[in-house]
Amino acid sequence: MFQPQSAYAFYSPTKVLSGNKALENLPVELDGMNAVKPLILTTPVLSARGMEKIVASAFGDSNLTIGVFSGVPPQPDLRLIRELYGLYRDNGYDAIIALGGGPVLDTAKALNIAVSGRPEDLESLASGNPLTKKLRPLAAIMNLDLSGCEMTRYASLGPLSLTSPALIPDLMIIDSRTVPEEEQKTMAATALMSMTQAVEACLHPARNPLTDAYAYGATRFIMENITNVMRNPSDRKGRLALANAAFFAQTSFDNLAPGMVYELGMAMSRSCQTNPGLIMGMLLPHFLLLEMRKETTDRKDLYLFIGGPEAFAGTMAEASSRKAVDRIVEILLELQSIVADFPRSIRDLGIKKEDLEKIVAQGSAAGVRGEHDPQDIRNIMEKAWETRF
Amino acid sequence: MNHYKEMQPGSKPIKRAYVALMLWFVGRAIEAAARVDGVVKAEFDGLSPGFTFSLGVMPQGPTMIVGKDDQGLVRYRGWDPEGQKIDLKMKIKNLEGAILMFTFQESTALATARNRLIVDGEVPAACAIVRVLDIVEVYLLPKLIAKLAVKRYPDWFFGEKIRNRIRIYAGAVFGL
Amino acid sequence: MDLPGYYEYYCGVKIIAGHDALERIPVILQDLHACRPMIVTDKGVAGAGLVDIVLGAVKDQLTIGAVADDVPPDSDLRVVNRLAALYREQDCDALIAVGGGSVMDTAKGINIVVSEGADDLMKFSGAGALKRPLKPLVAVPTTAGTGSEVTLVAVVKDHERHLKMAFVSYFLLPDVSILDSRMTLSLPAAITAATGMDALTHAIEAYYGLSKNPLSDATALAAIRLISRNLVEVTRNPSDREARLAMANAAALAGMAFSNSMVGMVHTLGHATGSVCGVPHGVCMAILLPYGLEYNRHKREAIMGELLFPMGGSDVFAGTHKEQRTDRVIAYVRQMNQDLHDASGGRHARFFKEVLDREGKPAVPRGRLPDIARTALGDGSIFYNPEDLDYDDFLMVLEAAWEGVALDSGRIRK
Repeated sequence: MFQPQSAYAFYSPTKVLSGNKALENLPVELDGMNAVKPLILTTPVLSARGMEKIVASAFGDSNLTIGVFSGVPPQPDLRLIRELYGLYRDNGYDAIIALGGGPVLDTAKALNIAVSGRPEDLESLASGNPLTKKLRPLAAIMNLDLSGCEMTRYASLGPLSLTSPALIPDLMIIDSRTVPEEEQKTMAATALMSMTQAVEACLHPARNPLTDAYAYGATRFIMENITNVMRNPSDRKGRLALANAAFFAQTSFDNLAPGMVYELGMAMSRSCQTNPGLIMGMLLPHFLLLEMRKETTDRKDLYLFIGGPEAFAGTMAEASSRKAVDRIVEILLELQSIVADFPRSIRDLGIKKEDLEKIVAQGSAAGVRGEHDPQDIRNIMEKAWETRF
Repeated sequence: MNHYKEMQPGSKPIKRAYVALMLWFVGRAIEAAARVDGVVKAEFDGLSPGFTFSLGVMPQGPTMIVGKDDQGLVRYRGWDPEGQKIDLKMKIKNLEGAILMFTFQESTALATARNRLIVDGEVPAACAIVRVLDIVEVYLLPKLIAKLAVKRYPDWFFGEKIRNRIRIYAGAVFGL
Repeated sequence: MDLPGYYEYYCGVKIIAGHDALERIPVILQDLHACRPMIVTDKGVAGAGLVDIVLGAVKDQLTIGAVADDVPPDSDLRVVNRLAALYREQDCDALIAVGGGSVMDTAKGINIVVSEGADDLMKFSGAGALKRPLKPLVAVPTTAGTGSEVTLVAVVKDHERHLKMAFVSYFLLPDVSILDSRMTLSLPAAITAATGMDALTHAIEAYYGLSKNPLSDATALAAIRLISRNLVEVTRNPSDREARLAMANAAALAGMAFSNSMVGMVHTLGHATGSVCGVPHGVCMAILLPYGLEYNRHKREAIMGELLFPMGGSDVFAGTHKEQRTDRVIAYVRQMNQDLHDASGGRHARFFKEVLDREGKPAVPRGRLPDIARTALGDGSIFYNPEDLDYDDFLMVLEAAWEGVALDSGRIRK
């Protein structure tokens, strides 16, 4: 672990503020980036749960004016960006605060491209031209209902997929008031998505000391907190740890090419309209079992990430990667006993046998890149479909 | 546009008032402590003539100012930085951070570790002032709370401490 | 892994590492929309042929606007202003800093002047004075230790006004740091040892300090592991490229850890010893590190024990009882100093009485220890140390570190 294996590049431009009264530091942080009038973007659901009021109250006594748009839909589109563009420009906003998961961040990133340059830059970036302007400040307030790409260089808006390191938010706030209890299944799905991203990062052939460091933080926090939080969702510290883990996992993921489980999970989720985190959770053990049969040295320390130093050091080297898989399966079994109608296979998620064929056949068209062995892909999907934990 | 509104987040008058009161109290307590406690006096003697510092909340106060006068005596100089030459500014980033400190949920050391303060000025002076604040806290607070507020509770001679404590309270409250 | 009640972490520097990472500079600058950089470095670096390596790596693909290779070890405002003028004359649009701490600070100072059009640098000192990005700055460290390639502080002296200006801003962070093994291959054994111990100190103090957080912990653990496996080895065998690259990585990782978690009493005393006696920073760190562990132990026993894993590896960790782990960690650091002493032919000092100045005379006379203790009282790093220290405590630690004996735990006030 941590030994630099080859040449690498690593980039994480986000400043993290996590914990007690983190939200109240927003005004001072924005001021440091020369921004004084932020626009908060959020969803009707979060707004109805009082989240925007909590964020607004953090600006109390700061002398700042803020705007709130609480109408981000589950599928934001270009029309919305154009409307928000006008609103941002006309009212003199100079920063965006994204409050919420996936669609909110997609909207915020796209809007930020538009307001930092021109709305046409969106299409230009989607067709492969790099951004030429530094973007305006973007702060993200993380919760536990996440898509897995919030803190990364990726955004998608309808048919447009946008990729640029400039899209990564400048600030990330994790504050227990805005990491509320979600439904157990939602939180479990988010944690399993993070787990997949982190585990695939530490098995990645291009891993480096920094992706290892972030993946280590992510896996440690998930393993130590996932079942506690599901059992007792009012465990605030546990929820904060899972939100931190999501950021760490996304950052390690963002600095490596996406792994096979992640890509399969996303492809299946797109074609079957199912939660990707849960699919990945079901695929992960089968993927690991398959990997273990291959002769690579990179997996030996997986159990250090999953089990921690004490457990890792107390285990014979030969047994250690097997132990890692066992631990993950144990967690999944525990989740089944805690979380109502938690799946035991991808079949339980409503995925049909013929859907698997479709994904294998479509291959890269479904978003699964060619470098994975199609036989492996088929194997893993079939196992995850047939075998129930 | 639906779902859109612009707003002026309000103020927090009660919290402001509480912090203002605490700052006033601590400011006057420092003045008194510099008279009765040898260590505090020595710390101020080591600072440049006329040295003045402020401790306040961003972006707009409340603030308290303490400085040395022409005779080298330490004086509480009120709350208004306007027109005062201030060598060292210690600014708490927001009102909630100040509440955490002045309700003793976070010690000075913890607040520093959590980056709740911005220090503008010479570092050695800032070190001296933090030591002064620690000593004043030990005088003002019951041992149980002060033990949480400072890294190491001093093993002072008991009788002397009680006497000084009474004098500092008298100074802070009544300006004696 | 512990989650503190509140923490902040930031390191927006892009890291590019490898045996031929320098070759990426033209693309990096292109991404930053720059095409005519000025190289800032010092005579020693240039003399060792390192600037030629950089120039060779970018040749044909980049026009170098200017090469300033005369940053003195004791750089100041005059140098900053002179080189800023050169930057403007030559119409440069980015900076490449090749060197150690002094070169980095100077380049950061130049960047403020040329980006803000400043005539008085003083206006930009203190927190929050810089509010927008500066010109692109690429850092190429030539020692593996200071971590200044990932830190947001710059210190510029003004010899005429006898001032030391500190600039603190995220905008001072280099945009990119290049960790290339060729830059440290020719580093002499004693400097390799001392700078490596500087990096180890950053990581360990960050790990037991009051601002520790999950990301500073993870980067610190990674750094400690790399240093434990590579430092003695590379001091024995300076041309080991893999070990050199590992150490360059370790120094950057440790830099990320400590610039977010801050450092404690080892640095407090190290800064003071450096300023009173002129002892190189890394030498002070190596000597004082065991005392930071010993002095703070009663407040951080369990946390310090965790360090045995990255230091000793699985078997040692599993084979050592929890209560004995901190003892092993401290012994391990002392043993490392001993091994480096042996590997460098006795040039790596283990305690202060062993440190010699350029003329071969003792650099830290015992009589100066009270001065050092007094100076230490004015150093801000003490805020982040778990336990408090007053003058007497500083002096007690210094005396033990002078003699090279362990701290008497009975004399540590708890």
